[in-house]
Amino acid sequence: MLDYAEPVTKLIDELKRLPGVGHKSAQRLAFYILRADRAETERLVEAINEVKEKIISCSVCNNITDVDPCRYCSNPARDRRIILVVEEPYNLVTIEKTREYKGLYHVLHGALSPIRGIGPDELKIKNLFERLRVEEVEEIILATNPNTEGEATANYLSKLLKPLGMRVTRIAMGVPVGSDLEYADEVTMHKALANRHEI
Amino acid sequence: MILTRIEASGFRNLEGFSEFGAGLNIFYGDNAQGKTNWLEAIYVLGNTKSFRTSQVRECISFGANECLLRGETLRGTVEKQLQVLVAESSKELYVNGKREAVIRYIGNLDVFVFSLEEMSVIRGEPKERRRFIDRGVVSQTPAFLNTLSRYNQVIKQKNRLLAEASKSNSPERFYNQVEAWNEQLIDLGAAIHDGRRDYVERLNLVLDENDHGRAIFGAERINLRYKSQLEGKGDIDRYSELFRERLALRLRTEVAAGHSLLGPHRDDLEILADNREVARYGSAGQQRSALLLLDLAQVSIYTSTYEESPVLLIDDIDAELDRGRIEALLSEIEGQAQTFVSTSRRAIADRYKDRASVYWVDRGRAIVDSGSGKGNIEPSESERSREHTRSAGDELEQEILSDG
Ligand SMILES: [Zn+2]
Repeated sequence: MLDYAEPVTKLIDELKRLPGVGHKSAQRLAFYILRADRAETERLVEAINEVKEKIISCSVCNNITDVDPCRYCSNPARDRRIILVVEEPYNLVTIEKTREYKGLYHVLHGALSPIRGIGPDELKIKNLFERLRVEEVEEIILATNPNTEGEATANYLSKLLKPLGMRVTRIAMGVPVGSDLEYADEVTMHKALANRHEI
Repeated sequence: MILTRIEASGFRNLEGFSEFGAGLNIFYGDNAQGKTNWLEAIYVLGNTKSFRTSQVRECISFGANECLLRGETLRGTVEKQLQVLVAESSKELYVNGKREAVIRYIGNLDVFVFSLEEMSVIRGEPKERRRFIDRGVVSQTPAFLNTLSRYNQVIKQKNRLLAEASKSNSPERFYNQVEAWNEQLIDLGAAIHDGRRDYVERLNLVLDENDHGRAIFGAERINLRYKSQLEGKGDIDRYSELFRERLALRLRTEVAAGHSLLGPHRDDLEILADNREVARYGSAGQQRSALLLLDLAQVSIYTSTYEESPVLLIDDIDAELDRGRIEALLSEIEGQAQTFVSTSRRAIADRYKDRASVYWVDRGRAIVDSGSGKGNIEPSESERSREHTRSAGDELEQEILSDG
């Protein structure tokens, strides 16, 4: 027999698929939803649907966006001579928060990891090189995560980029930051950008 | 630092608590009664890991869901309560009742163990010797642990990549990727090589000082030599350049092999007694003494770095060590560090009872021996039940082989 009526069990199972949600949290969320008033749950459903319908990835930089090209790529005020490369769209948010960086972005959607079966072909690397063919880029900042996968990705890209003649830099991340940009605050990120070095 | 008290529940067969003296503490008793379990409990309380198993949850006694160790430590005049709670899939650490992360918990009670399991450092695979040095480096530079863990991650990733490349029809497609991983391997590998070599040099200095081996055991002079895989291939003092050069040279070979062939994960340590490899030429007694000298050298480095003595555990002190060497070892340690010793021989407990606190271990309980130097209270029923273990190992005492 199921612990709860079938619809509740189903909801718990679906919530458990979300990253970082274990059984207990899923149960807590499910009961919250169960008790919440109808308008609130409908807003949640709507938000989920909207995200799935309207969010696409930018054809230039692969950032998530609701217009193509995205607001960074189409903003004339941004410095088109610099491209900063990140692994995930949420890393871009961390950089934006510093209000220091005024260039463009490129989102790889991952990092090299042979163990997880991720090679260069699984990452958005090809359209980075397409951009470099048409745009006049002077510097590429590699802001992949400071963990082993992010480092390998940065090293791999720099090997391919350097022969093209532009300046290739890596953000300076200290050990205390840990292994994911997600956890870096604005001050750390500001320093990491300011102290970037050629690789 | 000293441990004044420990209490165990659900930990192997241990029952109740024990209170300790600041000097030498001896647990004796028949086999399988729990002598070593008491030492293990002290080790787990301090280091949150066991020296007998890689899975500390294996210490949970049969039928229990979790095990709890509570201890009290004293450093100068500062008392602290430490607590380790181990369950099937979790480990909780508390200092003075407050939950702490492992990084903040470690260091409250640093425990070194000298055990027979450790003989694998002498007799076992190179990886055992690498682990021995790495433990030492980590105790000096905790960040080294992070370097090791990153190095291992990179090796795993590179191995997977090489395996894939070796099966491919166009392996040269993978060269750029392999080189990208090598870039990190060079930095991390050089940090590991240099860290280990420096530490081995420090050990050698301590071993040379006062001619330790001869001074303690009246015998061999112990020396170490860190043996890098890249030795003889170029200037080892500029390891990262040499490593880079070798990796470039052997890129194709590594891809063909399908796994990484180069790096400090292939290095070794030579342990020499009077300039001869002790693993090959030493007797069992010489090997154990050599190991003890290494252990003591590690303790000495620790003591001079932190200006404080760690807690020492010597498991099964009479194994492969004759009476003279036991005496030499205990005299060396005496007055320097709080020490816990386990033995199955009543005679050893008797011989040191004036200089030590002695505990008779019976079915997991540690019962204070009334005759011991601490003069603790003695439950009288244990007095009688102890009689029959008294004779067990004593006659053997005279016959223990001395090392040739
Ligand atoms: Zn864009």
